[in-house]
Amino acid sequence: MSAPESAPLAPPAVQLAHCAADIVQLSPRRGAHAELQRFASGHALALPPCGRVARATAGLVLAVRPERWLLLAPAAEAGASAAYWQELTRPCALAVDLSGAFTLLYLAGAGARALLTRGCRLDLDPQQFAPGCAAATVIAQVPVTLAAVAHGLLLVTPASTARHLQEWLSISARPSGLDRRADVTVHTLSGDATR
Amino acid sequence: MSGAARIAAGILTDPARPVGFRFDGRAFAGLAGDTLASALLANGQRLIARSFKYHRPRGIVTAGPEEPSALVDVLTASGREPNQLATTLPLCEGLCAVSQNRWPSLHYDLLAFNDRLARFLPAGFYYKTFMWPARAWERLYEPLIRRAAGLGKLVPRIGAAAAPAETVHHHADVLVVGAGAAGLTAANLLGRCGLRVLLADQDAVLGGGTLLDEGWTAWRQQTGDALAASPSVRILTRSTVVGAYGHGVFGALETLAAPTSSSGLRERLHVIRVRRVLFATGAEERLIALAGNDVPGVMLAGAAHSYLRRYGVAVGCRPAFFVNNDEAYAALFALAAAGISPVAVIDVRAESLAAARARALGMRVYARCLVSAVLGRSSVRAVRITALDGAPLQTVRADSLLLSGGFSPRAALPVQLGGHLGWQERLAAFVPELTPRAGVMAGSARGVAGLAAAARDGAVAAAQIARELGRECEPHAAPPETDLAATPLAALWEVPGPGRAFVDLQNDVTTADVRLACREGYAHLEHMKRYTTHGMATDQGRIGGLLGSAVLAQARGQTLAEVGALRPRPFAQPVPFAALAGSEVGAHFKPQRRLPLHDWHAAHGASFVSTGLWLRPLVYAQEGGWEPVLREARAVRQGVGVTDVSTLGKIDVQGADAVRFLDVVYANTFSTLAVGRARYGIMLREDGMLFDDGTTARLAAEHFLVTTTTANAAAVLEHLEFHRQSTCAQLDVTLTDVADQWAQFAIAGPRARELLARIVDADVANAAFPFMAAGAVRAAGVAARLFRISFSGELAFELAVPAHCARTVWEALQSAGRTLGLLPYGLDALNTLRIEKGHVTGAELNGNTSAHDLGFGRMLKPQGDFIGRTLSARPALQSGERLQLVGVRPLDRARRLRNGMHLLASSGASEGYVTSSTPSTELPGWLGLALLSGGRARIGTRLTARSELHGEEVAVEILSPHMLDPENVRVRA
Repeated sequence: MSAPESAPLAPPAVQLAHCAADIVQLSPRRGAHAELQRFASGHALALPPCGRVARATAGLVLAVRPERWLLLAPAAEAGASAAYWQELTRPCALAVDLSGAFTLLYLAGAGARALLTRGCRLDLDPQQFAPGCAAATVIAQVPVTLAAVAHGLLLVTPASTARHLQEWLSISARPSGLDRRADVTVHTLSGDATR
Repeated sequence: MSGAARIAAGILTDPARPVGFRFDGRAFAGLAGDTLASALLANGQRLIARSFKYHRPRGIVTAGPEEPSALVDVLTASGREPNQLATTLPLCEGLCAVSQNRWPSLHYDLLAFNDRLARFLPAGFYYKTFMWPARAWERLYEPLIRRAAGLGKLVPRIGAAAAPAETVHHHADVLVVGAGAAGLTAANLLGRCGLRVLLADQDAVLGGGTLLDEGWTAWRQQTGDALAASPSVRILTRSTVVGAYGHGVFGALETLAAPTSSSGLRERLHVIRVRRVLFATGAEERLIALAGNDVPGVMLAGAAHSYLRRYGVAVGCRPAFFVNNDEAYAALFALAAAGISPVAVIDVRAESLAAARARALGMRVYARCLVSAVLGRSSVRAVRITALDGAPLQTVRADSLLLSGGFSPRAALPVQLGGHLGWQERLAAFVPELTPRAGVMAGSARGVAGLAAAARDGAVAAAQIARELGRECEPHAAPPETDLAATPLAALWEVPGPGRAFVDLQNDVTTADVRLACREGYAHLEHMKRYTTHGMATDQGRIGGLLGSAVLAQARGQTLAEVGALRPRPFAQPVPFAALAGSEVGAHFKPQRRLPLHDWHAAHGASFVSTGLWLRPLVYAQEGGWEPVLREARAVRQGVGVTDVSTLGKIDVQGADAVRFLDVVYANTFSTLAVGRARYGIMLREDGMLFDDGTTARLAAEHFLVTTTTANAAAVLEHLEFHRQSTCAQLDVTLTDVADQWAQFAIAGPRARELLARIVDADVANAAFPFMAAGAVRAAGVAARLFRISFSGELAFELAVPAHCARTVWEALQSAGRTLGLLPYGLDALNTLRIEKGHVTGAELNGNTSAHDLGFGRMLKPQGDFIGRTLSARPALQSGERLQLVGVRPLDRARRLRNGMHLLASSGASEGYVTSSTPSTELPGWLGLALLSGGRARIGTRLTARSELHGEEVAVEILSPHMLDPENVRVRA
């Protein structure tokens, strides 16, 4: 057997895009979990269980904490989505606008998962972290909510550490590098998710 | 030097690709595929290094990572890297290696004088020698010893952008450690039944022991191809599993780039998480302790076999063999087949099947004999043969001695997992024993002899693991039946006689040192190790560790089984710090949190300071000194300034019981707070000490916004969440971290209202929006929140806007404030302003102060419970002698204060210290805040402030901490 070259694990080029979105955190009032579930179902909003991302009429719904959902919708006027959801769910839930709190990064390409193994402790094998999976984790020492969509991975990270994470992604993607793509919308992601 | 020794084609070397390299300045040529060791041997270079303590000449002893002697410095573009193993260092064009631990040269090392003094330098000599005078320890002895200690020299030249290592995380069903006959078989079978397999091997090629047997070439190729084609198997070569941490977590170090490379990755640390592990790590050949067993040219027999098969290199033309087992004869037969006939074969046993085969080939075998000494200093000249009873027989001229004292299963990783080392007399070795749940052993790692037997054992182990994971292994091609019948070995650890016999070549530990340690009371194996340094350093005593145990056992009059073996801990081989750090170096050592307006601040000349993870504008100037700071602060005092306070912690608190929750976690009352109003609050820890402060605004009946200090933002959120889920679990309240959601700007100064009125749609007059008001507004067209709060002592507002709208609003402020003389101000000016006003921050709110200490005692609510209430009432916390917050000011206005200055009583005793200080914007000279014993009662007195660090002393007066506008006229304006 010939000696294998010390082949770098460098993946093929990975595409990185930003995703502008309104982000609303929805949480049930105390004891109103079932009521919120019923209410959401009635409004064509399937609230997924913890560890899942689901497609919704308006966009995507992420769940990585008990009784907390992040609703991702196309960007509109600041605070408008939160106000809408607060009004709609007032009897049973609380809605908080987090559109400015997080930055959404979309990684695509055959090497996206391999790139993240340089800093992510989760098992990112496509069989284990299949489209529809979501998890809260830490990458490059910063908190990241990771969601698998059909053609890529969505990284939700605090806005203040987003640049650090992007720099880490760029360094870790060497030598192939990151291929910066035009921004995508939540529709792009929700169209992919859970197919 | 002896003659050139490349006598055959190696399976790893390419004769068509010569490689030039340098050793100690001399130019040599090797072949692609060589290691530095094989290339030096091929060039006849025997002398490679000088020993650690006695500076004795040393050569190459092994062919792998267990090498104790052949360590070199490698000169690269990124510096000088010490202690590189010549036996594993891949040869590359331009490699530049130098020998270590010698002066002035390898051949003429003046420090070899130590060897003449060896009788005065036994184990532990420093402990006995450098006893007095005591003061000489730090000034003389320690520097001298440190200078003499160590082998190589580290001279890093790491570029700012260098990222020499990275980390990769893996998950698999099974980790197979070792790619010899057992490991390859097992990985293949496990992969074929669909399990995710990670196969890691320290070597550059797969095969382990099968590489040394031509009969296994086809099997190895076929198995390797199958593994490479398997989608569920991942192969890591040049990857040594260095640590086993339990719960299925392992660490492996992969060596990547050629050492001459000035850029690119050098190492990769693999963090591996698996459900099961199979150790097929093989066994290590052992040294025999005899006089002169460290002379260059003495080598393990298996290593000689490796150099021949892998690189086509013969280590000598006239080798002698000294063995106690049949397996070592494989090297003898291979060398003979290549035309290198032994001058003598010395076997401690009376007879053996392998010896009979050697005799049949016409070799001279000295049965029941020993090698009692190796003659030569820089190279083997001859070996002295004696009978078992010590009677001298013959001295045979030889240019090398190939030794084998038997084999010890590699036990480091299983032992790290809690494995027991069981003594097996038939192997004369300790064999690791693991519970199946902890791990499975296979092949020679558990004492199985022979390649075919190891392969079969690997298959059995794979089947067991597969069953545990709910799979069935399919039968696969049988391995070649090449194993020969063998005669058991005869244990042999030491050949008694005159002369120094080494048990640890790397640390120059002799059999006499081990016996001395025992005589001096260090009779436990681990004590002996620390007294003599046996088994320490880069090789961890892998070829001689058991020899030390055996000599100690003999000295103690016990069996080796009773004495035991050294207990290995992670790491199993040296790991560079760079590999542990990975890419988290330099600017990426820790994350940096950037403000939404970071780029604006940078573009406008801000100097940044790290506060926690945040990068905050310190001052909008690149020059140092107080002038730019005071310019910004005076703009606030006299006109208007704006600062970015987005780093404040912000917690959204909502729910029907939100106000009840706040009454529990705050020491002051919030249930009386009206909607549209804000209140300053203090929070205690459970032990009654002050935890944090900040303002809380009631945005709606069931909706509050809590702000925290920047430093305590995460801790306060954790504290509140803990109590929400435990002590207040029955309450309907939801906490959300909105620190990143809201950018927040403090607009302060007498003209703040005038500025604000230009960009918000609300009436901000005092009557409509009084001090501590809060409400929703639109600012520059953006939905925002406005708070009438002040940290500067001036009329001030804080405007919060969604972070992604921050730039719009901030630039609108800048534009609107241009005619008002608006200046942005940084953290230094913020501090100046708050010190003058007597507001506290982390310097005073330091975890050791109570509410009473900082003058907040009256805020503690008299009725109702709150976190920290009980313990805050401890009598000791009420004492008037505690350090209390005061203001300080030098009597001589031309003199300055410094943070940390001690406040001295007339006796010279320290009674407190300055926590914060600044030149004043309005008063002449400096002002400061201090914590002073019984401080409030001492307002109006005078003390001396002294900084030992700066050699400064100044007389100060003690003031109320509220040194500017104590009536709060300005903030209510």
